Amino acid sequence: MEVTLKIFRYNPESGKKPHYEKYTVEAEPTDRVLDLLEYIKGNFDGTLSFRRSCAHGICGSDAMRINGQNRLACKLLVKDLHGAQITVEPILGLRVIKDLIVDMEPFFENYRSVLPYLINDEPAPKKERLQSPEERERFDDTTKCILCACCTTSCPSFWVNEKYVGPAAIVTAHRFIFDSRDRGAAERLKILSGQFGVYRCHTIFNCTTACPREIEVTQAIGEVKKAIGTGSLE
Amino acid sequence: MSSRPAPQIGFSFEYLMWIFTRISGLVMYLLAFVGLVMAFWMGAHQQVDIGALARWTFFPNPNHVTNTNIPDVTLGWSNAWWQVMEMLIFLFAVTHGMNGVRVIYEDYIGNTWGRALGRGIIFLLWIFLLIVGIYVILAS
Repeated sequence: MEVTLKIFRYNPESGKKPHYEKYTVEAEPTDRVLDLLEYIKGNFDGTLSFRRSCAHGICGSDAMRINGQNRLACKLLVKDLHGAQITVEPILGLRVIKDLIVDMEPFFENYRSVLPYLINDEPAPKKERLQSPEERERFDDTTKCILCACCTTSCPSFWVNEKYVGPAAIVTAHRFIFDSRDRGAAERLKILSGQFGVYRCHTIFNCTTACPREIEVTQAIGEVKKAIGTGSLE
Repeated sequence: MSSRPAPQIGFSFEYLMWIFTRISGLVMYLLAFVGLVMAFWMGAHQQVDIGALARWTFFPNPNHVTNTNIPDVTLGWSNAWWQVMEMLIFLFAVTHGMNGVRVIYEDYIGNTWGRALGRGIIFLLWIFLLIVGIYVILAS
């Protein structure tokens, strides 16, 4: 089948304004959008820039807006887009560096602000800090985050103010707050109860829709709000 | 296996207003329900048209039913009970709404100075609306 890709292009060194360019390619229904981008870069225009690494939906490098929705280009098949034209744009809310590449620093700054690591000053046991399967299950969903930024850059609260920690940072905080081995919950909950914490979330569920790992992001944010209110980590 | 103490949570302004938004929303539904049920109990199904009834439900002021078929609004429809009901629903509605404005404003404003300025203006607007509303309630 013949598919036309309408791709956002921007090169600050060229002096040209941001614009769209169209490329028509032959594609199999089972091709991924990333395959088409690679094909265009290899055969039509080597200057086309985008991030990719593992190409198997694990590294989270190739998040982009495809037909208006945040997706991983390596997970999305042509047949699932149901059309002969595919629009590919950079994710919103972050400065475009070139073409489909955005400056991820504000995203990672927010990520670092929620202390995304295990905090436990208690003496370590001889072998390891044990945890029951039930305790592990409590935060299983939020361990799946790959930091692709699909959720955060689909959030209108983040679009208007990048100081908002965003869904991805809250998901990461949730992963540690509800980990029975962690002792940093109070510190994280204090950070998340501030002006740019969980209360900038207006529960519109864009993040849950956007997540390529199918994490229940809005539910995780709700659980953090509940923990702030009740002080309970159950 | 380990057990860990629950964290001590200090209630932040954002948290308290988040709770208030939810509770005030429910209280406004409850007050409107009381106003509606009592209106029917006082004969609204025969004497009040649907538009006036809707206005009365969400703000039980006698001015909302003076032009209906109620022969005398001073009998049941205009007394201290309804003034208290009006004040409650008005207080919750204005505070709920102005807090909503604050939340939207603070979505956009990141710096401390801008936040303080916005909060100050919204606080003054909230006080102004309360004074005007209470005057209307007491004068009618």
